[in-house]
Amino acid sequence: MCTIGFLVNPVAGMGGAVGLKGTDGMVEVARSRGAVPHARERAAETISDIVDLRIHLLTCSGFMGEEVLSGAGISGYEVVYRPAPGQTGAPDTMAACRAFLERGVDLVLFCGGDGTARDVYSVVGDSVPMLGIPAGVKMYSAVFAITPVAAAGILRDGCTPGGRFLIRDAEVVDVDEEAYREGVLKTRLFGVAKSPYRPGLVQGTKQVFENPDEERAKKDIARFIREVMEGTPEVLYILGPGSTTAAIGEELGIQKTLLGFDAVSGGDLVAADLNEQALLGLLHGDSRARLVISIIGAQGSLLGRGTQQVSPAVLRRIGRENIIVVATPHKLAETPLVFVDTGDRELDAGFGDHISVVSGYRVAQRKRIGNRSKFEHMGN
Amino acid sequence: MDTKILLEEDHMPKSWYNILPDLPTPLDPPLHPATGKPLVPEDLTPIFPMELILQEMSLKRTVDIPEEVQDVLRLWRPSPLYRAYRLERHLKTPAHIYYKYEGVSPPGSHKPNTAVPQAYYNMKAGIERIATETGAGQWGSALAFATQIFGLECTIYMVRSSYAQKPYRKSMMQVWGAECIPSPSTKTKSGSAVLQKDPETTGSLGIAISEAVEDAATHGNTNYALGSVLNHVCLHQTVIGLECREQLASVDAYPDVVIGCVGGGSNFAGISFPFAGEKLKGTHKETDIIAVEPASCPTLTKGLFAYDYGDVAGLTPLLKMFTLGHDFVPPSIHAGGLRYHGDNPTVSRLVHDGVMRAVSYHQSEVFEAAQTFARTEGIIVAPETSHAVRATIDEALKCRKSGEAKTILFNCSGHGNFDMSAYDAYYAHQLVDYEYPEQLIRESLARLPKIPGA
Repeated sequence: MCTIGFLVNPVAGMGGAVGLKGTDGMVEVARSRGAVPHARERAAETISDIVDLRIHLLTCSGFMGEEVLSGAGISGYEVVYRPAPGQTGAPDTMAACRAFLERGVDLVLFCGGDGTARDVYSVVGDSVPMLGIPAGVKMYSAVFAITPVAAAGILRDGCTPGGRFLIRDAEVVDVDEEAYREGVLKTRLFGVAKSPYRPGLVQGTKQVFENPDEERAKKDIARFIREVMEGTPEVLYILGPGSTTAAIGEELGIQKTLLGFDAVSGGDLVAADLNEQALLGLLHGDSRARLVISIIGAQGSLLGRGTQQVSPAVLRRIGRENIIVVATPHKLAETPLVFVDTGDRELDAGFGDHISVVSGYRVAQRKRIGNRSKFEHMGN
Repeated sequence: MDTKILLEEDHMPKSWYNILPDLPTPLDPPLHPATGKPLVPEDLTPIFPMELILQEMSLKRTVDIPEEVQDVLRLWRPSPLYRAYRLERHLKTPAHIYYKYEGVSPPGSHKPNTAVPQAYYNMKAGIERIATETGAGQWGSALAFATQIFGLECTIYMVRSSYAQKPYRKSMMQVWGAECIPSPSTKTKSGSAVLQKDPETTGSLGIAISEAVEDAATHGNTNYALGSVLNHVCLHQTVIGLECREQLASVDAYPDVVIGCVGGGSNFAGISFPFAGEKLKGTHKETDIIAVEPASCPTLTKGLFAYDYGDVAGLTPLLKMFTLGHDFVPPSIHAGGLRYHGDNPTVSRLVHDGVMRAVSYHQSEVFEAAQTFARTEGIIVAPETSHAVRATIDEALKCRKSGEAKTILFNCSGHGNFDMSAYDAYYAHQLVDYEYPEQLIRESLARLPKIPGA
């Protein structure tokens, strides 16, 4: 029987919905902006899919794991770490992992973001495989499953009788949150972990490309989108984060924030770095708005990672037909499938089987959308 | 029944079929790019010999094929018509599938059907050199073959992305004594202008045409030749359909469906015009004539029916045709011969009027069909031709559903023996399914100035 150490970083992802681009050291600010924790719900999505498996689960008390397990009706787990009352943090994640190691777990399953991955890795290193349930603001590390349901599929592969985990090297990277909030994307390799995967189901390390061709492609995309904007002056354009959309800002001659959502109307910057509330505030009445968004890194994720400002409520207000997806051919070449992960399954399903991605001047590519429910049953 | 339906050499057509007099309404005239007025024959004399200009505008239903041209065509014509028994069995379709195989010509495609007469008429007019463009290299190698036979020099501007992708086409042109230059080049003003704006450009047919036209117009001993799009090119290709009609008649068949791939429209016109003529005359009203194009360059399915230039620089006459805009540079698909923003005006008119219809496919879909064809019929088709194969298979599968035993004819316009890198890309899952973002493009064009006469 598998022995798995399970922990939840209860505050992971809270900074995202309120525009903080990360939660490290910002929990109180996030709370004051009205952020609610959702890591437990993400973890519960995974756990509820594996209740039938015979797994020996070790966990932490309260918000850090126990509540998710008991909430899913799982009994027979062991609490091996109890954080002190109050706000939990990195020391708690690390202490829990030390307890897992002492008990000889086969795998550490954690729910959080890049910060949590870094904390787990700093204790377990490459001695024990780790798998992340995505719940953070940023997930550039390769230890995360594409979705909570996909994480459950990986666990099923490894923990059913006769099954086994396929293990690969997975980079743990972290983003400098201070710099990230200033609009600078600085990733660094923190270490190389062992991580279970199903081919096509775990995100590869996000890459930031900087070769000349890539820059040229961004300019081509930007020139096309500018002409589209000029032809539709009545439409409000919301430009999402990333260097491809930043190139559109440059083409328009506006100061686009690299990592935030900015609104453009008639070629002028109307508002920068919008959070969910501010976006909803802008999307009122009958006026038409379009969202220009890119695929994040090499992992093929759209609307899920680092883009929590665009909540299901925002997307429903904009309408699927008004979402323009842009990505360079380079990025698309490393992205066999696009995963739509809004946090709202019904909304995700409405995207269908394929998505058209603008990849150059007057050119698009048709990309297949990875289907979560299919993956649950079919592997890949 | 036989697998191959062959014609004796003396049954090769002695004249071409001109569809223009059978059109219900005359074509909109080509317009002079500078004045916007309808062209007169003299406007074209700097780049074409008079005989071809007269053919371009001819309203005679048949045009005789000169003896010297027939002599050369006999090297491979009449080409075989095949009944695709193995493909039919594989698809479990009641349909009867026939294909005309033009890959038996020395350059391996339908292109020499027009390269030979074009070289001949230029030779007769005292021209010493011909400049032309080529996309995938099919046309360039065909014209190299034809000019060499009639003792002319030949300069070929080859679209840069194909020049890199298909090095053996370039080698063939060399064997037949032609000069092959990657386009855009610094040899012409229009090429230099494009390079200055965008040194990394993949090039396009539209750009290469500008270079070849400029080369011809600025050299007295040099004329220009076009491998598709124009009426006289389509006229020369009608030998394909005329032979098919006789070959099918010899087995008491007539097609319910006629299919060809479309870049500029000439191989499609070649196989379909004789049958479209019957449709227009009312002798066979129900024939379903299908033009197949790439989803990345969907001229007939998503373009505008309007006057536009035939090239990027705007040197050619304005033609009334389906167009994606003369400055549209289609993505670098492997079917390089289908990367053209416009289409033959007659094909455009017939699609516009509903006499023919058009469909489009993505790259991965057509290569999958080409694989099926290669594994049943044996022939590895050119990426361009694979579009026709895809549509044929889809029509045959419709017949399996409906139980109809339709007769389907398609033009197997060329072999893909020099296109194996495209197949490699297919097997490496590296084929990109390019699309034409129609709505966004229309919006982006909303503020552009209008083309005169559009």
